[in-house]
Amino acid sequence: MAGLLFFFSCSTGEHLKLKIEIPRKTPIPLEGFKELIITNFLVKEEAEDFDMNKALNDFFSAELDQKLEQKISSTAISFENEEVFQNKEFWQTLFPDRKSAILFTGRLEYTQEIRKAIKSLEKRQFETPFPEESRLEARKFYSLNLQIYLIDTQTGEVLYTRDFKESKSYRNPNQTAPFAFIDLIQTVRDTLFRQLLGEEQVQERYLIK
Amino acid sequence: MNRKVVVLLLFLPLIVVFTSCSQPKPQTQLRFGILAAQKGLWDEAIFRWKKVIQSEPDSSAAHNNLAVAYEKKGLWEEAEKEYELALKLSPNNKHISSNYDKFKARFENSEKEEDKDNKKKDKNK
Repeated sequence: MAGLLFFFSCSTGEHLKLKIEIPRKTPIPLEGFKELIITNFLVKEEAEDFDMNKALNDFFSAELDQKLEQKISSTAISFENEEVFQNKEFWQTLFPDRKSAILFTGRLEYTQEIRKAIKSLEKRQFETPFPEESRLEARKFYSLNLQIYLIDTQTGEVLYTRDFKESKSYRNPNQTAPFAFIDLIQTVRDTLFRQLLGEEQVQERYLIK
Repeated sequence: MNRKVVVLLLFLPLIVVFTSCSQPKPQTQLRFGILAAQKGLWDEAIFRWKKVIQSEPDSSAAHNNLAVAYEKKGLWEEAEKEYELALKLSPNNKHISSNYDKFKARFENSEKEEDKDNKKKDKNK
């Protein structure tokens, strides 16, 4: 009996399989910065019905404020051309008094068009004298091309950059550009935050006893 | 039979179990660390496994567990160092190898994504 108890009480496995949430390696050490300044983006073509820069700024200010401990502020700057993002001096001289801050800036292109798409029609169960409906329907198609740059205000160096190309079509003919814009930047946010903030992912690891 | 002898015989199995399972201190620390990790107390777990390494520097289990904890904390360099040490001490341990492979794959994937972005950037120049 004693032997049996000894066997059962001590016979534990050698290892323990554990599912744990492990953060990703982030491309930039955000914790080393005190402030994140969101600027307006260089827009290729302004939309007629809404202010894209304001929508983008409002969205990322709120989202980054929730995720980061750093102070989030916004400011407007004037861009001369696209080459400005690689111009270290430009960024260095922009905020000489704001050390250990990151600029959240970039280039933005947002287009909308109406495309014809083939409609999926239900098969007719019996012949009718009425003409068949058109097999084409109009869909609103929106595409967002966003290039995000994170720039160190002190050195003017680009710490991170990534191109996002998102598009979506809507059956709803009343879909508006501002609503579609929010849909598209939400997709950008998910990818950006996963990479930038090192969001956790469930992984399996073994602990050894 | 004497009553005292009967009581002693009844308690004998428990005594055997108690004494046979009383592990040396590092082993207790190692298991305590695992319990802490299971409860999400990773700092406590790190503390325990470091203690094990202090008394048993060749404990591949402690090095492996510490590596997992460092990974959890996002301390990549420390995790890599500990995994390498653990593998050096137990090169044939499939659990350590599995952990290290997964760690490497994840680490390299993040870097690949970064490289991809940089290549894109160079192409656009």
